[in-house]
Amino acid sequence: MASATRPATVRERVADADRSVGRLLLVAAGALFWGWLVVSWVNRWLGGVLVPVGQPLVPAGAVEATLAALPGLAAYASDAAFVVELSPDLARGTWLTVVITAVSLVLGFFIAVPLAVARVYGRFSSWLSLGYTELLRGTPLLAQLFVLYYGLNLASYVPGALSGVFPRNVVWVAILGFTLNGAAYQAEYIRGALESVEEGQITAGRAIGLSKLETIYYVVLPQGLRYAIPSWTNEFVYLIKYSSLAAFITVPELYYRADQIASETFRYTLIFVVTGVTYLALVLTASKLMARVEGAVAIPGLGVEREE
Amino acid sequence: MSDGDFLGVTDVSKWYGDDQVLHDVSFEMDRGDVTVLIGPSGSGKSTMLRCVNRLAEAQEGSIRLDGEEVLSPDIDVDDLRREVGMVFQGFNLFAHLTARGNVALGPRRVLGLSESESRERAAAQLDRVGLADQMDSYPAELSGGQQQRVGIARALAMEPKLMLFDEPTSALDPELIGEVLEVMHGLVDEGMTMLVVTHEMSFAREVADEIVFLDEGHVVERGPPEQLFERPEKERTGRFLERIESHD
Ligand SMILES: Nc1ncnc2c1ncn2[C@@H]1O[C@H](COP(=O)(O)OP(=O)(O)OP(=O)(O)O)[C@@H](O)[C@H]1O
Ligand SMILES: [Mg+2]
Repeated sequence: MASATRPATVRERVADADRSVGRLLLVAAGALFWGWLVVSWVNRWLGGVLVPVGQPLVPAGAVEATLAALPGLAAYASDAAFVVELSPDLARGTWLTVVITAVSLVLGFFIAVPLAVARVYGRFSSWLSLGYTELLRGTPLLAQLFVLYYGLNLASYVPGALSGVFPRNVVWVAILGFTLNGAAYQAEYIRGALESVEEGQITAGRAIGLSKLETIYYVVLPQGLRYAIPSWTNEFVYLIKYSSLAAFITVPELYYRADQIASETFRYTLIFVVTGVTYLALVLTASKLMARVEGAVAIPGLGVEREE
Repeated sequence: MSDGDFLGVTDVSKWYGDDQVLHDVSFEMDRGDVTVLIGPSGSGKSTMLRCVNRLAEAQEGSIRLDGEEVLSPDIDVDDLRREVGMVFQGFNLFAHLTARGNVALGPRRVLGLSESESRERAAAQLDRVGLADQMDSYPAELSGGQQQRVGIARALAMEPKLMLFDEPTSALDPELIGEVLEVMHGLVDEGMTMLVVTHEMSFAREVADEIVFLDEGHVVERGPPEQLFERPEKERTGRFLERIESHD
């Protein structure tokens, strides 16, 4: 680009330096977090190839001894050892949180797109879509989960093919609940984005002989879905946090595990700070990821171009 | 004069709600004719054009295109549209596709050409409108004049037997109008049948076989350019032309 040949101003160089320090820290923290998670998961799947299943990746005693020897950090040594001690449980819970969120989000997307299309371009189906969306957005998510789990007792109807996948069938109930609920929210975001695609392009699509559905598929959706990414990212972030409601129908995800440990050890503050940081790391990962996706699929010449 | 062998518009009337926007509009075209529709804003020019490819539905009258009744409930509207190209005032390019992608979409998805055939056809059409070097640019990276030429190439790629132009240069900066008109002149020379709404009177004067003057949905007057421009029969035509020409 043109900027490659233009020397940077002093101000730009300072800003660049600041940005790269910040970015470096963030990348390091992210690598540490995901490294810990993935190694913990793999260790468990492979039956404890690195450390016995249930044991922290590094011995808590060693962490405590190291920190105790460092001036200034000694005061935190026992807290750190405690966190290391419970890290295998957190990693296990985080796995379910990640899986539930990711699967629900993807399944919800495939329901949300037809819902949004029906809402914008349908006649009768537009009312159906509206009804669905309002019902699911207008009632508490927790109540929806309770209806599925306690009311309809769906956990006992999980088909055989699915029932071995997770240790407990209730995970599927949670996924169903978040899928149905998330679809309604995703549909709202996507609807807004579809409506922002210029009418004239639809006319042009029809004018070359594309049917209405073909025009939606080849012209409207490729643009609308791109435009939906920023607001859709909100739903992603919400879902990461709302997935903690699964704890109330006994899904042993991150929040459930944290709550369990806290009620056994009474170290509520420390445990929920660590849990909060874990959710934050997931949320930051999601938003960074989506920002990248947005940049990667951006239409050249439209809106802000990607930096770098 | 045309005998309407190719396109025969007869007593077409169209209402939006209770508003009648076209009143018994009639005109004819032969193959290879260029007819220019002129008239003040809101007179129904765009609506008339859209009735021809059924983007708008006329309630009364007849439009015969190449022996077929366009307004018949039995015709396949998508088939009709693949034979009638349309160029829009606002270009209406598909924003997420390159110039080539815009032109190739119809051949690929409507005509069912293969990926490589449709890309080749797109390249040929873009070359025809002088954009061989901009094939991989996205609409937002092109000037208005270039965008409109892509719009023309997109319509041409369907190999239409009739081209509709709805004020193709009205949204363009004055210095970009020429390149679009040049492409249109080229089409005239190739013998394309064209129904054009425009305020470019010099273009109309040069290439039109017939000018149709619409006002408030009525055909006030029609005839060859030399007659309409030099010796308009109706006073309203004269007044309109004076107003337009003084703008040029
Ligand atoms: N979709 C629509 N719904 C209702 N009324 C419409 C619609 N489209 C056009 N009209 C009305 O029909 C009349 C004719 O409009 P049309 O767009 O055909 O005029 P025009 O001659 O093309 O004008 P312009 O030069 O401004 O493009 C106008 O009164 C307009 O308000
Ligand atoms: Mg118009």
